[in-house]
Amino acid sequence: MMSVSENLLGNVFGIYLARATDEEILKRKVASGGAVTALLAYALEKGLIDGVVTAKRTEGLEGQAVVARTREELLETAGNKWSIVPFASRMKAKIEEEDLKNVAVVCLPCQAQFFGQMRDFPLLESDFGERIKYIVSLFCIGTFAFEAFLNYLRMKHGIMAQDIKDIVLKGDFLEIYHGDSVLSLPIKEVYSYLQAGCLVCTDYTGTWSDISAGFVESERGWTVLITRNLKAEELVKSAEKDGYIELRDGSHVMGEVLKAAREKLARAQKNMMYLL
Amino acid sequence: MIMEKLKVLHVDVGGCEGCNVSIIRAYPKLMDLIELDISYLRKDECKLDEYDVAIITGGACMNEPRILEELKEIREKAHTVVAFGSCATFSGILRFCRGGQEPRPDHRNFQPINSVIKVDYSIPGCPPTPQMLQSFFKFYINGDERRLRLFKVSADIKKLSGFDLIDDIVLTGLCIGCGACELSCPTNAIKLIDKRPNLVQEKCIRCGTCYIRCPRASQILSMGGAR
Repeated sequence: MMSVSENLLGNVFGIYLARATDEEILKRKVASGGAVTALLAYALEKGLIDGVVTAKRTEGLEGQAVVARTREELLETAGNKWSIVPFASRMKAKIEEEDLKNVAVVCLPCQAQFFGQMRDFPLLESDFGERIKYIVSLFCIGTFAFEAFLNYLRMKHGIMAQDIKDIVLKGDFLEIYHGDSVLSLPIKEVYSYLQAGCLVCTDYTGTWSDISAGFVESERGWTVLITRNLKAEELVKSAEKDGYIELRDGSHVMGEVLKAAREKLARAQKNMMYLL
Repeated sequence: MIMEKLKVLHVDVGGCEGCNVSIIRAYPKLMDLIELDISYLRKDECKLDEYDVAIITGGACMNEPRILEELKEIREKAHTVVAFGSCATFSGILRFCRGGQEPRPDHRNFQPINSVIKVDYSIPGCPPTPQMLQSFFKFYINGDERRLRLFKVSADIKKLSGFDLIDDIVLTGLCIGCGACELSCPTNAIKLIDKRPNLVQEKCIRCGTCYIRCPRASQILSMGGAR
């Protein structure tokens, strides 16, 4: 029998608050402490991995799969992701084109589930799970059905896709940075513009990952890191030892993460009644 | 402490041998954990009266009472029954059998193993890789129920295919366009068009891999709800 928190958050090895020590990384980050970027920079520079595969926002809310092999390339990909690309197939192509043997993937809980399942359960000869060393999943409340969302922003608020610089979650509000100004939208109002699949998703942190990362309101400027196994724990601890990140115990924010996870589960259960 | 090896029986009730080859390929790395009784390595009848795990490959031909009896015997002998490969789990390509076809015109109807006996774990794939079987035993021996949940739930499902993926996930609007299905299809029956999977029906061999690999579908499945 699994406990409620285990069901909600998956296997938790350790929970920490972390922050990048590198000014360059901190400068680029809006919402969190940049610890994911710092961790991956550490893994790249120590040769633990030979590449990071992630999504990069191109125009509006569109994204594309990119490979980062250096700190510079990594910095280019930093920031929140609000759309999903047909990532799995493009990612495979990227890994094979660039002949990467040990990659870290930064992804959403659903993608972490796919990669995690592929790594644990290689059903197909064409699987590439053995090439994936670290799966880093970002806390996720859903991705936008972005055509609909952009349409809404344009019609109701006169914001054009190409003017959007960033989207940041702050409390119960979503802040749209566009041009020189910021629009604050109540999160409830934009729920209908999330993809229906995200509205029935029960996974907030990415239970299939090695490391889950996100932020909580009470500790802005810090990244919450959940390690799920020994391998992840070692990465976090050694990145701290070598001065790439500052690290604090995060057990006091567990409740806050649980609350967000519970809200996503409740939302999913409610929506499933309508949709399934 | 020296762990006693699991006694494992393999029985094939009628398939293409792809799964059998996969099991044989997996065996060298499993020898420390299991003792495998497989038809390739013995003369005739199976060696023991009791087994910890029985791996069954191939679909059950409903026109062959002998096969149905054999399955029931295995169920009595084995503590845990694993249906391995798409034919055993969801009947796979054998679903297209309609009698009058060579080499066995008498074979008219195949069903998955769980139509005949209770199955504990279903592992689809056409065929599943040797690494999959090694993974399975790793988690099984460690008693890692969480990791095996998806296969446990699948053991009660008789049919999963690209058709079901389209019906349950795409047409309901739950697809998020991640492309996991496209990557998982062994016959390239699925192509993402406008960020949603499109199924070339003639190519789908009903192996169920796409469904099991779809994050949305597998999440809903492992939450425990019956389909």
